[in-house]
Amino acid sequence: MLDKLKDIQSQGIESIASAADVDALEAVRKELTGKRSSLQEVLKSLGSLEPDMRKSVGMKANEIKNLFSEKIQEREKELVAVASAIKGELDLTLPGTAVTAGALHPITQMCYDLNDAFRSLGFEIYSEDDISSEKFAFDNLNFAADHPARASMDTYWLEGTEDKRGNERLCLRPHLTGGSVRYLLEKGAPCRFVYPGRVYRNETTDARHERAFFQYEALIVDRDVSFSSGRVMIETILEKVFGRKVNVRMREGFFPFTEPGYEIDMECLLCGGEGCKACNQAGWIEVMPGGVIHPNVLRAANLDPDEWTGFYTNIGLDRLVMMRYGVDDVRLFHSADLRFLEQFK
Amino acid sequence: MNISIKFLERYINLPKELTYEKIAYDLTMRTVEVEEVINTADKFHDIVVGEIKEVRSHPNADTLRICMVDVGEGELKQIVCGGSNLTAGHKVCVAKPGSEVVWHGEGEPVLLKETKLRGESSYGMICSPGEVYLGDIIATEDEREITDFTELGIDCEIGQSVAEVMGLDDVILVVDNKSLSNRPDLWGHYGVARELAAIYKLPLKELETALPEGLPEYKVTIEEPDRCPRFTATKIENIHVKESPQWMKTLIANAGMRPINAIVDITNFVLMAVGQPQHAYDSTHVQGDEIVVRLAKDGEQLLLLDEKDLDLTNDHLVICDAENPLNLAGIKGGKDDSVLDSTESIILECAVFTAPGIRRTTAYFNEKTDAALRYEKGIDTQRANLGVNMALSLFKEIYPECRITAFTDCYPIQTENVKIDITQEFLDRRLGEVLERSEIIDILTRLGYEVEFDKGTYHCMAPTWRSTGDVSIHDDILGDIARLIGYEYFRKQPLTIRFDSSVNQVKVDLARKLKEYLAFRCGFNEIFTYPWVDEKYIHAAGIKDEETVKLATPPSPEQGMLRSSLIPGMLESIVGNERYYDKFCIFESAQVFEPGEYHPSTEEETLPVHRNYLTGAAAGRDAASLFYRVKGAVENMAGYCHFEKLEFAQKEKPSWADEKAWLNLMSGDTNVGSIGLISVAALSSAGVKNLSGAAFEIDTDKLIPYPSRTNEFEHLPLYPLVEQDMSVLVDESVKWADIEGSIDKMVKEVRFVEEYRGKQIPEGKKSIMFRYKIGNDDSTMTSKQIEKKMGAIINVLQKKVGAELR
Repeated sequence: MLDKLKDIQSQGIESIASAADVDALEAVRKELTGKRSSLQEVLKSLGSLEPDMRKSVGMKANEIKNLFSEKIQEREKELVAVASAIKGELDLTLPGTAVTAGALHPITQMCYDLNDAFRSLGFEIYSEDDISSEKFAFDNLNFAADHPARASMDTYWLEGTEDKRGNERLCLRPHLTGGSVRYLLEKGAPCRFVYPGRVYRNETTDARHERAFFQYEALIVDRDVSFSSGRVMIETILEKVFGRKVNVRMREGFFPFTEPGYEIDMECLLCGGEGCKACNQAGWIEVMPGGVIHPNVLRAANLDPDEWTGFYTNIGLDRLVMMRYGVDDVRLFHSADLRFLEQFK
Repeated sequence: MNISIKFLERYINLPKELTYEKIAYDLTMRTVEVEEVINTADKFHDIVVGEIKEVRSHPNADTLRICMVDVGEGELKQIVCGGSNLTAGHKVCVAKPGSEVVWHGEGEPVLLKETKLRGESSYGMICSPGEVYLGDIIATEDEREITDFTELGIDCEIGQSVAEVMGLDDVILVVDNKSLSNRPDLWGHYGVARELAAIYKLPLKELETALPEGLPEYKVTIEEPDRCPRFTATKIENIHVKESPQWMKTLIANAGMRPINAIVDITNFVLMAVGQPQHAYDSTHVQGDEIVVRLAKDGEQLLLLDEKDLDLTNDHLVICDAENPLNLAGIKGGKDDSVLDSTESIILECAVFTAPGIRRTTAYFNEKTDAALRYEKGIDTQRANLGVNMALSLFKEIYPECRITAFTDCYPIQTENVKIDITQEFLDRRLGEVLERSEIIDILTRLGYEVEFDKGTYHCMAPTWRSTGDVSIHDDILGDIARLIGYEYFRKQPLTIRFDSSVNQVKVDLARKLKEYLAFRCGFNEIFTYPWVDEKYIHAAGIKDEETVKLATPPSPEQGMLRSSLIPGMLESIVGNERYYDKFCIFESAQVFEPGEYHPSTEEETLPVHRNYLTGAAAGRDAASLFYRVKGAVENMAGYCHFEKLEFAQKEKPSWADEKAWLNLMSGDTNVGSIGLISVAALSSAGVKNLSGAAFEIDTDKLIPYPSRTNEFEHLPLYPLVEQDMSVLVDESVKWADIEGSIDKMVKEVRFVEEYRGKQIPEGKKSIMFRYKIGNDDSTMTSKQIEKKMGAIINVLQKKVGAELR
């Protein structure tokens, strides 16, 4: 009987060791320690044995049983350590489950990046309505009475108002700047705010020109502020938007609502300033006209030009977004073509 | 405007070490952007002077000759040529291999290679002027005539570059006219030279300003001095139409104009030199030997030089003789007074016309001439002195035999120097740094200002050429100082940050949350469309013309209406995208317009009504699921974007919506928008071919954002909740809201799972599956309690909506 137990033990240990996975091990466990196992049969037959034998066989059988459960536990640990949840093969090259998010328009994304940057400098975000009047779009901004931009060849006037003047002559706003006086009339100075938006010009369209395009304008009005701060502000903002330092230069420019006016160019990011097609071989991209707010504009906003000053910065959003992604046709922005828009997720 | 360096060098000595790139850069940074630097010699590469040594006939062609030519490379080159006047000893233009020439003076330049012509090898090409870009400045009898430099009296050496020989080795700085609008003083090379002299502290050549003296008067009357503050007339006799001297033709061509004849060229040269337009009248055509500057009479006619017939009104200034208008003042010459081949004497006009009138008339007749371009920016009256003096000395040089027989200077109004005071304190504050007084005075003096400093104030007198509107306030002087120092040299001063208030703009934040919610959580793509929409889509959306605001000059006739809803744009975008996608979701956030009254800033200004709309559309095959897709997006919007909850109701069907499937969105009692399937009619009139669509539109101004997040924390249940599904059979007419409303008070939570119709479901019935949670607040539910609750739910449903358990 003891020999039999020896066989049971050695065969059992072998089966445990050779169980290939957790399921097989479970089968082995049933076979070795279950109700119909040989070990159980030995234990059942104890009654028919001599008392001496009964004791030693019984002890041995229990010892084997314990050994089995110990070995099985050990083996189980080994097997779990190398086990996989996958039975059979898993093709790791199959694509993952698709994410079904949509996208914000690339212009909106750039606008939000700028909003975040300006907000961090304490700027408010303001918006003017799309339709304005000659009073706000031109008169308040020191445009000469016969400035060509006032003509219908440049500006979209509303039907029935095109022959009127000032407050009564209405248009789709040709630039954002008119909104600055609205803000100042409402909230006064000192202030710093940005006012992004879409503007409209009666133009012939091509890859570089649009009738509806986006601008992002900022204005600071305060008692003592030098125009050289404008350049620092732009450097800060661009660094935040592009994630690295972008060289800028400030040069002479002219706008009716500024004196002095300047242009801020940024180094072409496509060629790094070497000169390429995108920057017309110049190495610089003209993106930000700006300047010191003209005394007549301050007067239109009921502010005393001897007390207040400030500066505008106007960012051409379309141009900046085109730079960011290398987009070569401005008309794509209004195309509503999902083949284009889905690229900006 | 094309600025020729050679032209500039007549007035300023530019140091050798000053490169053209540097000049372009400094002008760009300080004065006006130079868009391009063109080296005019570039296109003349490998085009040189060659001397014909021998001419013999071509064995295989009657019209061709074989020439042996010395091009300065030692051995003679054989060149086959079809020129009509080839003669040994002539010095001619030779285009060598590698050069680019224009065949017969027409078309695009082609690259020249060594070749064989009718069996005879030809090294390059002996060219007529037109073939090497000289057609404008060397006149020939016929196109086959080859020019002999010696005969033209031009000194040259064999092998010398033709560009150099002809003075075409020039550099052109290209400036956009628009960017010169505010600087009328720069509309001429002398003005640019003066600016460079100020930038580089170089001496500028003084121009003569003396006018003829002691001559009989020519009769001139100015009736409108406000429109014409100065008019000079000079009678020049004993001249005839001929070619200009080579140097002048070259400069005129380099600066971008075409030489015509000496008389016209002199006026153009003066125009490009000092920016003073002039006009030459054939004096025999001036009736009554008198000039009258007056307003036209209504209905008066004028035939322009280019045969255009003008119907004048009494806002148009004309230059007349004793009887009729001769030309449109300051804009364009008339047909009848112009210089002809037979002209022997002229009246030379050198006048000043004020800008506003010129601008109006230019716009009225759409005549943008070189003269008008300059007058409409504002020219000082003193400039006429430079013009008259320069023109007369040129006439004397080119026509030594000419006689100046009469002169009149009619000068009712003089351009006054603008006088402006600017304080040291103002400059220090605005420049952000303190400049030396001597430096300020030096800069302003270089720019032509006369400056006196007294007790902290600079009394500045601007030169007349900056006094026609350009300089008018002390800020202009600040600008002049800043740009001449160079903006790049100012110390950078960071902005100060204020800590007295936080920026808290819930409306602004809501607008962004809405967009991000739709894009990131709901899978909608943001689109932009134009505010003017093709009327086809406006009508398809059921919008009436009178509900829209219209443009006076729309981009195209069918785009005259501005949108009063974003749905038309959605329709257009569905049409555009269904070619590539069979399922997509899009949204747009923009303003829409309606006739009405709205005062955003002042009472005097009345604008049409503006609304800020947020509109989305889902397009695809299964209408019902599209409807629920859109409904889901709108239903969850308030929770995710933190504004006051919206309820659905049926109040007023939107014009674009399906008869059955639409709902209004209510915020309290306010209708803030709608959702619905887009009607079959709308889709078909818009031209949507295969897809169905559902849409929502929301007036976001009517949403009420929470000032901050308002959800309240809910305790986790102390005792486990039991979750169960239940399917019931109900009549088709029973709504989910009825089922939910019957039992929502009995359970902790109830949610719709699915609706089912199919084989096992009897006709007229549907199966609704929902999931509910129940539980006790003070103990774990026993199975008995659970069974009891379930029975109660079934009972209530049976009673209220006639449901049977499935």
